[in-house]
Amino acid sequence: MVKYLGKRIFYIVLTLFIVSTITFFLMKFMPGTPLTNQAKLTPGQIHQIYKQYGLDKPVWQQYLVYLAGVVHGNFGISFQFSNQAVSYLIGSRMGPSLIIGGQGMVLGVLVGLVVGSLGAVKANTWIDTTATIVSILFVSIPSFVLAVLLQYYLGLKLRWFPIADWGGFMYTVLPTLALAASPLAETARFMRTEMVDVLSSDYIELAKAKGLGKVGIIYHHALRNSLIPIITIIGPLTVNIMTGSMVVENIFSVPGIGEQFVKSVLTNDYPTIMGLTIVYCAMLCVVLLITDILYGLIDPRIRLSGNNN
Amino acid sequence: MKLNSLAKLGGVALLSAVVLAGCGSKSSQSGSKKQTLTWTTPSNIATMDTSTMTDLYSAQTANATNQGLLQMAPGNKVKPGVAKSYTVSKDGKTWTFNLRKSNWSNGDPVTAKDFVFAWQRTVKPKTASQYAYIFANIKNAAKINAGKMALSKMGVKAEGNYKLVVSLNKPQSYFKFMVAQPEFFPQNSKVVNKYGSKYATNAKRNVYNGPFLLKGWNGTNDTWKLVKNSKYWDAKAVKMQTINFQAVKDPSTSLNGYQSGKFDYTTLNGTQVKQYKNDKDYKVNKEASTFYLELNEKKDPIFKNKNIRKAISYAIDRSQFVNKVLADGSQAPKGYVPDAMSERNGKDFADQAYVKSGVSYNLAQAKKYWAKGLQETGKKSVSLNLLSDDTDGAKKSTEFIQSQLTKLPGFKVTNQNLPFKTRLSRSQNGQFDMVISAWIADYPDPSNFLDLFTSTNSYNNGKWKNAQYDALIKKSENQDANNEAARWNDMVQAEKILMNDQGVVPLYQQALSTLQKSKVKGVQFYPTSPQYGWQNAYIK
Repeated sequence: MVKYLGKRIFYIVLTLFIVSTITFFLMKFMPGTPLTNQAKLTPGQIHQIYKQYGLDKPVWQQYLVYLAGVVHGNFGISFQFSNQAVSYLIGSRMGPSLIIGGQGMVLGVLVGLVVGSLGAVKANTWIDTTATIVSILFVSIPSFVLAVLLQYYLGLKLRWFPIADWGGFMYTVLPTLALAASPLAETARFMRTEMVDVLSSDYIELAKAKGLGKVGIIYHHALRNSLIPIITIIGPLTVNIMTGSMVVENIFSVPGIGEQFVKSVLTNDYPTIMGLTIVYCAMLCVVLLITDILYGLIDPRIRLSGNNN
Repeated sequence: MKLNSLAKLGGVALLSAVVLAGCGSKSSQSGSKKQTLTWTTPSNIATMDTSTMTDLYSAQTANATNQGLLQMAPGNKVKPGVAKSYTVSKDGKTWTFNLRKSNWSNGDPVTAKDFVFAWQRTVKPKTASQYAYIFANIKNAAKINAGKMALSKMGVKAEGNYKLVVSLNKPQSYFKFMVAQPEFFPQNSKVVNKYGSKYATNAKRNVYNGPFLLKGWNGTNDTWKLVKNSKYWDAKAVKMQTINFQAVKDPSTSLNGYQSGKFDYTTLNGTQVKQYKNDKDYKVNKEASTFYLELNEKKDPIFKNKNIRKAISYAIDRSQFVNKVLADGSQAPKGYVPDAMSERNGKDFADQAYVKSGVSYNLAQAKKYWAKGLQETGKKSVSLNLLSDDTDGAKKSTEFIQSQLTKLPGFKVTNQNLPFKTRLSRSQNGQFDMVISAWIADYPDPSNFLDLFTSTNSYNNGKWKNAQYDALIKKSENQDANNEAARWNDMVQAEKILMNDQGVVPLYQQALSTLQKSKVKGVQFYPTSPQYGWQNAYIK
């Protein structure tokens, strides 16, 4: 297990290194400068300012300086927020993103599991049809459209929840719902298919023959075996939530990192883009690692350090 | 059961009536409305350091929390700020400001040294200020900024604590507007040195001398507020107690918030304007910014022909453009210098320098000039590229201009929409045939626009040249610099030449379309940065 973890962590570091390198050079190919009023500056003045930020050095030197900083957890100073350290910028805006992202994920997956299981257990009844229609709807409606609808109807018309802003649980409800839709639908779809398969397998028939109760069968035998493919899609779902949050945060004025990312790209704020890319990448790597560990916990047949056992 | 719940309901109703009545009598006793409002901005504050700020919303906040020597006043005027009076020497190069006794929010006195410190700090190369160029006319500032001279040689000196003497390279009658801008605000050296590179990166690492104090800004968040500063020298004139700010990046969120009563102000985008232009809260504020078409005379010699340039201008139906295509509150231009920006003796510059033919639509005339121009240049057909940004608005603009220009026989126009920064570098390097450009004023003086089209100016991308125009601009900056009437007249004549010769083709003047609750009064709109001032605002 320790050996396995060590290997995985090594790969995560390698991934982060490759991603940050690619991002760095891609950004150098981006047209324009990080200067806001480039139009009003002469080349001499631009050079003067570049010098202060170390942008006048050759690209490979900038790259080395940058890498050295990242190793020390220093992403540099934001161009857009002058004198603001990127690490502080990300840190101070991380909380809200984690809250709505986490809530969205948990809510989506849990409800998705229930909806999917119900669909499978009551296969080919009206419950199944409704569950399928809901999943198809939620998969097809992009989160930003759902966000706007939720804001308009639940926020403005019914006034159940705040339209925007941040400040307590009530403020997280609408963004969470908007983000939860897609994981909910995906989970439900996978769960239903998998459960239908499992329910028709021999050992379930055996359990039924032994006279176990329906709830017991589903809970003890079917659910656990149907969960494995669901864990596989948690990685892609996380990516889904991350990209969704960029738009959803904008719509609900959530002071998170998603909308900051979009803004940094638009303003050529290199240090912030780099910092956020690495943070996003690291989060995804950690989620993938956790899902791999979860496999083993759920299915003893999949052993992490398989060759040892 | 039913009776029971009915009784409960009645109880609640009675209770609420009592509570509400209590509220009512309370507010009527105090005799005035609560002086607080909630304002939205499309972006958050980037920094409160006036030496390094570059964006409108930081400047807007700084303008509310701090104050310079003078402050902007309605009708393109200035009024006293930290300086109670000022004098200008006969040659116009020495400005002397007499400062009043006023305090920073930490109790320190605001002195002339704070201005010297701040201005030097902005110009110092190490600060890497993107706005250091704005000090270029102050003696030695440009050399200091280029790292070629000692900081102490800058032409700004404190004589005692309450007298500031500024030496300029050449007379600059609009210097009075510049000292009202955030770049020219004072800074408390004690506070700046205490926080070092962290100075002004949140609300607490700063000190204020303006009408309001900034609270609740942690450096990166989307909400903050302005609270009345009791130590401000003119605090009795400030009525607002609290102004809450919320950065709302999505226009429909902002509008929904306005409708729900959460916000008292919102800006509107194009689609929203169509829906709300008859609303009683709808307000259009003209900005000091002009969008115009530049024709590259260096790359395409055909544009050296005046008839061709006039034909292009005549072919564009600007009123259809702003009302039907853009439809976001933008206005058809009166000329190149924007309307409602600068006036003299109650007369607007744009009205005085108005040349009808420079901004009118007349397809018959356009075709006539076009035919003449083609004949003079010996061409039968022309195929050219129209360059612009890749925003929705810019795409709409290029499509519309293309449709208008192709009405000229034998004129083929292709569109190219590129990201802003790429477009900009193409403009600057002359890699275009026709480009849609925009200029936003730094200060409300026509010279800020007119300077661009002198033959040697680096922003004159189309390379239009006119000796008479150059001479007038030069005259306005030198021998007439101190004679306000003569200088004004020079600029009016210059604009007329530019328009008669169609050196540039103005397209539209940008405007800010907004909804503002009618109970909010006295908010001042400036056509240039910082756009809004709240020191005279109140709730009715």
